[in-house]
Formats: sequence, C-alpha cells, structure tokens
Amino acid sequence: MIRYGTIAVVAVAVVMPFVSGNLYLLNLLSLMLIFIIFASAWNLLACSGQGSLGHAAFFGIGAYASTLIATKSGISPYITIFVGAAVAAFIGVLIGLTCVRLKEWFLAMVTFGFAIIIQTLTVSILAPVTGGWDGIASPRLISPAIPGYQLIEYYSILVIAIASIIAIWYIMKSRIGLAFSAIRENELEAHSAGIDPVRYRLLAFAMSAYLAGVAGALEIHHIGYVTPEIYGVDLSFWPVTYVIFGGLGTLAGPIVGTIALTIIWDGLKMAGLTFARYVIVGVLLILVIIFLPKGLVDLPNRLQQWWKSRKKTEPVPLPVPE
Amino acid sequence: MVDIGILLQILFWGIYAGCIYILLATGLNLIFGVMKIVNFAHGEFLMIGAYITATVFFLTGINPYLIILISMLALVAIGAVVERLCFRPILGTGKLNEIFLSIGLIYIFQNATAMIWGDEWQSIKSPYEGITIPIGSLNVPLDYIIIMVVTAVILCALYLFLKKTKTGREMRATSQNRKGAKLVGINVERMDVLSFGIGCALAAAAGTLWVVSGQVFNPYMGSIPAIKAFAIIILGGLGSIPGAIVGGLIYGIAENGAAYYLGGVWKDAISFVILIVVLVLKPTGLFGESGE
Repeated sequence: MIRYGTIAVVAVAVVMPFVSGNLYLLNLLSLMLIFIIFASAWNLLACSGQGSLGHAAFFGIGAYASTLIATKSGISPYITIFVGAAVAAFIGVLIGLTCVRLKEWFLAMVTFGFAIIIQTLTVSILAPVTGGWDGIASPRLISPAIPGYQLIEYYSILVIAIASIIAIWYIMKSRIGLAFSAIRENELEAHSAGIDPVRYRLLAFAMSAYLAGVAGALEIHHIGYVTPEIYGVDLSFWPVTYVIFGGLGTLAGPIVGTIALTIIWDGLKMAGLTFARYVIVGVLLILVIIFLPKGLVDLPNRLQQWWKSRKKTEPVPLPVPE
Repeated sequence: MVDIGILLQILFWGIYAGCIYILLATGLNLIFGVMKIVNFAHGEFLMIGAYITATVFFLTGINPYLIILISMLALVAIGAVVERLCFRPILGTGKLNEIFLSIGLIYIFQNATAMIWGDEWQSIKSPYEGITIPIGSLNVPLDYIIIMVVTAVILCALYLFLKKTKTGREMRATSQNRKGAKLVGINVERMDVLSFGIGCALAAAAGTLWVVSGQVFNPYMGSIPAIKAFAIIILGGLGSIPGAIVGGLIYGIAENGAAYYLGGVWKDAISFVILIVVLVLKPTGLFGESGE
C-alpha cells in the first residue's frame, strides 16, 4: 500500500507541471520539495532523540557557503550546493559536540541559541564577506536566459529531493538507523549494548545538517538572493511543525506533513488571511499533538481502531437458559 | 582606565533589566517545580501582559504601575485556561511533546495579538519619565528604582505565600514529591493550575514593567526574553528561586555590559554564549538540581 502511495506521489510530482503550466504552482512545488528535504533532515536528527530548534542554522550555512563558493569561483551551483552542505555538516558536528551530553530541553535551547549566534556573526564580524543585513545575490540554478528554465529547475529539484529521501530511507533501514532509535529510547541501555551514543549523535548531526544545507542552498539558488533572515526563528520552527503534523520518526511523516501544511498554508493565503493563518496552524498543531500524537500518517490506523471499537460496544445478547 | 561611572551605569541598567528576567524566570521555576514541564511559550505571557498594560493605559490613563494588578489577574485566568486545555492532556507524554506544544502556542499567541493590535513596534511613556534621582555621581531614573522596588515586593509576596500559607505549602509539597502529596490528600491538579496561573501572572508583571520602562514591544518580542529566562534558570538551577534571582541579575548586567562593549547586536547572542559555555562545562546547569 505504501509502495503504491509512493509511486503515486512521485508520478503526480513528475506530471504536475504538464497538467497545469501555472508558473506560480511550479514555484510552490519547488519550494515544497525543498522543504520536504529540510523537514526530513530535521526528522532524521529527531530520530536520534535530538530535537533541534535551530535547524535554520544549517539551512542558512548551506545557503551562504554555496552562494559564496559559487560567486567566488564561478563553479555551477549544482556542485557548490553539495560543497556548501558539507560546510553545514561540519558546523553541525561542532554544534553536536556541545550538545552531546545534553538532554532534550537543553539541546533545544542550545541549538536555538546557535542559530541566533550564527546570525549575529553573519551580520557583524562576517559582514564584509556576507554582506551583513543586506545579504548577497546568489547565482541561479539555471540561467534565466535558457528557455523553459523553470521546468528544468523544478525537475532537478525533484531529482535531488527523491535522492535525499532514498538516502534517508536507506539510513533509517540500516544499522545506523537502528542505533539512532536505540539511543533515542534509552541511551544508557544502548550504551551498555555496545552502541556509542556520542558517535551516533554526532553522525546524526552531520547527516541532518548536510541535508538541511542542501535544502538551504537549493532554496537560495532558486530564489537568487540570500539574507540573514534565513537564520530566523520562523525557518527553524517550520520543519518541526511539518514533521509533528505528518508524523515524527517516520519516513513519510515529513513528506505528508510538508505537503499537507503547504496546501493549507497557501489555501489560507488565497483566502486573504495573514496572521490568522499562523493562528490556525498553531491550533491544528496543538490538536495533532493532543489527539493524533503520531501525526497524520497514523490517521488511517486511528480511524481503523476507532471503527473497530465502535463495533464492539454493541451489547452481546445473553443466551437464554433452556 | 575603566570609567567607574560607566561601570556603575551598566550595573544599574543591568539590575533593572535583571528584574524583568527574574520575574520571568521565577514564574518558569514555579511551573517547572510543580508540574515538571517547561513552557517555551512563557515569553508570550510577558507579551500579552505588555499589551494589556498598554491598552488599559491608552484607554484609561491609569498609572501604568497600578495596571500591573490588572495584567497579573488577567494572566492568571489565561494561564489557567492554557494549562487545562493544552498542557494537562499531554502531561507525562514526553518532553519533546511539551516543546512542540509550546511552538503551537507561540504561533497562536503571537499572531492572535498581531491580528488584534497589528504588528508594528509600539511603546508607552511612563508618567515618571525624565525624573531622575541623584545617587552618588549618577542620575538614576526614578523608573528604575520603582521597578526594582516593585520586583522586590512581588518576590517577597511570593515568598510569604509559599512559606506561610496552607496553599503555598501544598504547592511546595507537590513540587517536592508529587506522589507523596497525593497520598496526603493534596489536590495536585489544583496545584498544577494554580502554579501555572501564578507563573503566568509573574510573566505578566514582567510584561508590565517592560512596557513601563519605555521599551518597545510588538507581538513577537516575547520569545527572546523567554529563552533568556530559560538560560537563567538553567544557570541558577532548575527549580531554585534564589538561583533565578542571582542568575537574573548576572544576566542583566552581562547583557548590558556586552551591548556596551561589543555592540548592541551582541546583546541577545551573548546570553546564549554564556549558556552554551556553562552547559558544555556542566550539562546539568550551574547549581544542577534534580536529575534533569
């Protein structure tokens, strides 16, 4: 069932631009794919029990690093994306090192703090290089001079997104994924079973930061400009929201959550709501946390259970004694 | 070399800024002590307190310092509702859930406020603005003094409540040993609601003082002070009220010192630098309290 679902989703994604040649939709889909990568990256880290509230840091570092390398060296963004992501992964390991001994709240705060610190560095000490608050222009993925460039861009983003998901799927299936779950559930026991928590925590940070960096670089090369706003709280919270909505710890969760919320978000925007959108998303999020803690992906299960329990409340007639 | 005058000025800035953090941090400590949860949306209560204060002030012109009572009461009510509807259902379902719930609350509060009041920066003026009292070589604004006094009064009231009243003792019992408290007949759910309400009231007081001191506010200004309050209670030890007081003062001074010497842009970042340094050295906080 999941196989068919996946094929269906991918098929839709491939065919969509031809069904509707709408440029606005194409842009929306591109951004959605990028955020699917970002949300999945955050989810990967959360699988190891580390819920970061500052993931915008890696998103932004990937973006800035890729932009700077591309502008300084003239290498195509398609290559610098993966180099910039490596920079993000490196910083991720450094940040991970400070968080190695921390529990959930502390880790959340420290990661939040790092996003702010990196933003502050970008606008103060690093300003000569990064353009400070004004930001810098970023080379586009495909030059607008080429006809149909939006389409090419969209498909390349789609390919990268699919590749990322496959990579995450593979990681989750592998022993590394098992190790992540082990240290998430009970670090002490995992350790005594021979799994080194430090090593896997750092690995999780490196992988998650790398993918987040890819997403960030993709977004910025797509948009064409980067500013320090990319390190903002907003960008740190969105992946968290998407994943909770969709289902924490699963492969499909971030994807489902991102798609669902993007549709809701854009729909509300069309209805003309600005602030109210956030309020509605907030309410939905809280409802999901309280009533559907495993996220939207759990909905079919829950409905099934609810249906079954309904049937059981029929009173069983007592046998009449002869 | 270093001008004593400047240092004293930073000290006074720091202490009065610290007062706001202390109130915020004490509220957090109270909630954490009794319910063992951490509410990242705590700063939003400060923000709501600020807006209530400003609005009542615009409408009636009452001395903002007196409005503190209104904002505190309003927030006890709001806090109680939030606890009942949002936190109680997820109590015990894991710490990540609390963090995520708080994110939802942040979205709601910040943007509901923006819907009602708009999202531009606003500020009000204290009736005592411009009046200063000479202390030594400094001219200390009267507002600073009043803020410090108000903070001290509130903290003393809280202390008396916790130590001398029956409810206060019940609250302390619940925070020390929840099961034991249930066994001796204390209604722990009531303690939860009460502690959350009082914690929010303290945040509201902090919000009023923020506004009164002429600082600008908008719907999004709550998050940063909240995170700093967290940093303070981590530094001072989760659940330790004296730790929060000392931590709050240190933070206020460090922040203003950093702003002066490194530039305003570092004002927020410095708090995190301190926090990260402390946590790396001592993962359970400076005066590391119970297990977490």
